[in-house]
Formats: sequence, structure tokens, C-alpha cells
Amino acid sequence: MTRSAWWRRFLVRGVFWRQLLRFAILNVPPWTEPVIMAFWSTFFLLWGPGRRGVMRNLKVIKPGSFAVTNFFRCYRVFWNYAWTIADNVRFKELRTVPDWEFSGWDHFQEMQARGGAILLTAHMGSYDLGAHLFSETSTRRIVMVRAPEADPQTREFEEHHGADGLRIEFNTRATELALDLLENVRDGAIVAIQGDRVTGTISSLPATLFGRPTTVPAGPFALAMTARVPIFPVFVVRMGRRRYRLMTSRPIEITRSRNRDDDFARAVAQWMEELENVVRGRWYQWFTFEPYWQEPAA
Amino acid sequence: MNVVVDRPEARLLPSRHHFALARLLAYVRLRGTRSAASQPEEHLILPIERDQTAAEMNGIAIWVFATASCYIAAGLPLALPIAVLAAIPLAAIAIHLPIVVGGPILRLIVGDRDHVKIVSAITMAMLLIASSWVAMSGSWARFAAWFFFAILALNGIAAIMLWLMRGAVRAAEERCAR
Repeated sequence: MTRSAWWRRFLVRGVFWRQLLRFAILNVPPWTEPVIMAFWSTFFLLWGPGRRGVMRNLKVIKPGSFAVTNFFRCYRVFWNYAWTIADNVRFKELRTVPDWEFSGWDHFQEMQARGGAILLTAHMGSYDLGAHLFSETSTRRIVMVRAPEADPQTREFEEHHGADGLRIEFNTRATELALDLLENVRDGAIVAIQGDRVTGTISSLPATLFGRPTTVPAGPFALAMTARVPIFPVFVVRMGRRRYRLMTSRPIEITRSRNRDDDFARAVAQWMEELENVVRGRWYQWFTFEPYWQEPAA
Repeated sequence: MNVVVDRPEARLLPSRHHFALARLLAYVRLRGTRSAASQPEEHLILPIERDQTAAEMNGIAIWVFATASCYIAAGLPLALPIAVLAAIPLAAIAIHLPIVVGGPILRLIVGDRDHVKIVSAITMAMLLIASSWVAMSGSWARFAAWFFFAILALNGIAAIMLWLMRGAVRAAEERCAR
């Protein structure tokens, strides 16, 4: 390990915190968990950029809100995030399954019955846990696409401690991945993608969320159009301690016309409507720690 | 792991609770609940796992944390409001100690998962010792200690009642989870 690298493990996205979480899951008695969670959620409020990012996003989601109120709301976001990642690790390490409730069950069944589909979700609740549940209960193969961890050690740790039965692809190698995903969808697999924010240099589409311009990844929409499969908006929402709800909305069908941009714009608008409804009601589970919208020019 | 599907009343299964008092209360509520058909638009998967119930686990955590905070606040040589404020983070740190110190050592000795039961027992034993000491003192925190022993006594009585009713409890669980 280089001299400059040893301390990087203690950065907020460093591997130390993943190791500490795993240690806690393996050693903490369940009846002390809420105290431990409350303590560490408070500790992570010291993470200035994350706290400010969440508070700035809350200002847009809840216009006219006070900074002090958003500070406490920010704590609620951190608290929910702590439980969510803990539940995910608990499942990976101990196979502890939370209670699952489903809403939009008809749409969920439709997604399973169709030959290939795109599952479009957001950085909400437990995306990972939902994908694992899906891989264990569905007859369909699921391929999960996600952004890789920024820290190499953290990435290695996550790959080493991953659950079986789920294929995870990282969205770093755009061209080969697109072809690979297309082949999978055509073979009847369900491709799960997070479609609420653009990371790195992936291609994007213009969108509007909470009345402000933003961009969303173009990949899921392009894939759905090429493979001629629907997009199912799915949100995995934490309802309480070890209790999640899998919400499936009506599918987004991308109809091809002469104007491709309009086709995409219609699909993106429907996705944004679903996303906005869920984020408005469950802002405390939208785990977006960076400012989502550009600051308006002074 | 066993799961119950589309039976909302299975949330009340005593097997989904950890401590005897919570299991007994769950059994009483389960008996009073009629089997309800699940909502047509909902699908439910409920694992049968003893630490699954939020109300029980959150309740115990708050109780233990409040008790520990009272003991620490009473022991601090500060004015009461300042002592209470200082006791809150100190109690949270104190609850970490048996886990951080005992967890890895016990895991090496007894192996995975079982060691958490021992960590749990050690934490409760430490609280028991502290409660015994505080209960006999003249401090205001003795009321918290008496409450602690009252809950322990109730849990003991509940354990005896559950043992006596074990056949009925098992039958009710089987009816629900069938």
C-alpha cells in the first residue's frame, strides 16, 4: 500500500466503514441495534459535503423549507440509509430476510411474465436488497447494472462480499455493456438499472424533476426502444425496521415514431412523474448525497 | 428460514418475537385476531425470525438506553441538566463496549452467530449489575433501576406462562402459518 493510500480507507467512501458495518452486523445484538444506528447516523452528520448535498436537495423537494428543519430531515435520511445498508449486509452475511410487502402486484407479475424487461429504479430504499429478493424469487434472470464504488478497496471488498445468484454489471464499459444487456433482455432477462442520476460520462437525456431541469441516464430508454421491451418503474422502499415495500408502477412503453427525441421525451416524462411522486412522499429515502440540481446562476 | 406468505396476522406470531414478555403479548393479540384474507392488491412475505418485530426491538433499545443514560447521569458530578445531556452520548458509547471488546473474542471462541447471544447476555448482565448497585443507592436513578427489575420480573413471569401454555402457543402458530 502506498504512503498516500493508507488513510484513504477512512474517507467517507473508504473501505473502513464497510468493514466496520460488517463487524457490527456480525456482533451487535439485535435489541441494541437502534441505539447503535442512532449513534452512527449522528456521527455521519459530520460528513459536510453529504449533509449539505442532502439539505440542498431537500430545499428543492420542499420549497420554502427552513434550513434547521432540513438539518433534522437530513438526519432522517442518514438514519434510513444506515438501516438500509445494514439490512443489505445482514442479508449477504446472515441471509436474514426482511418482511416484504408488494404494491402494484399485477404490474410486478406482468414484468415476470413478459419475455425480457427493464426494471428502472432510483437510489431509494434498498436497491441491492430488492435485486437479491428478485433473484431468489423470480424465474427470470436478473442483471443488475450499477455505478462502481469510487474507492478501489471498497469495490474489491463489495465484490468479495457479494451475494450469490445475482449478476452485477458496472456501467463503466458503455459499448460492450449495451450489447451484452441487449442480448440478455432479448433472452428474457430483467435488467435492473438506477435511472435517477447520471454518473461519470454515460449518455443522458434531458428531464425535469420538481420543476427544475436535470438529466437522466439514456441507457435504459435506448435499451427498451432497441429491444422493444417495456420499462417497469420499481421502487424498494423501507417501511420500518426489517420491513420493505416493493412498489411496481404501470409500465412505460416506448413507441417508435419518426421522431426519436419525442419518443424518448414522452418516456422520460412518465418516468419523472413516477420518480417525483415517490420522492415527494418518501424524500427521507432518496439517497442522493450530492446536489442533484445545478445551482441557478446568480 | 421459514416464511409465511399472504397472512398479515402472521406478524403476530410469537416466534417473530425475542423476549418472553413480547412473545406472550403477541400470543394474546394473535388469539384475538381473526384470520384476515390479504388485500387483493398486496402480496406479503413474512419471515419467521425471532428478532423481526420493530416495536419489541425499538422498545427494548429505548428502555436500555434510557436506563443506562439515567445511571450515567446520576453518577456524573455535574448539575442534573448538564449531566443528562452528557449522559446521552456516554450511554451510547457504553452500549458499544461489550460489542467492541467482547464480540471478536467470543466469535473466535464459540464461532459465528452464537457469540452474539453471549454478547447480548453480557450486555444485559452488565446492566443487571449496574441496576443492583443503583437500586440500593439513594440516587434519583434508583427508580429507573426498580423499573428495570420490574420489567425483568414481568419477563420471567411471561416465560413461565409461555412454558405452561406451550402446546396452545404452538397450535396457534401452526394454525396461522399453515
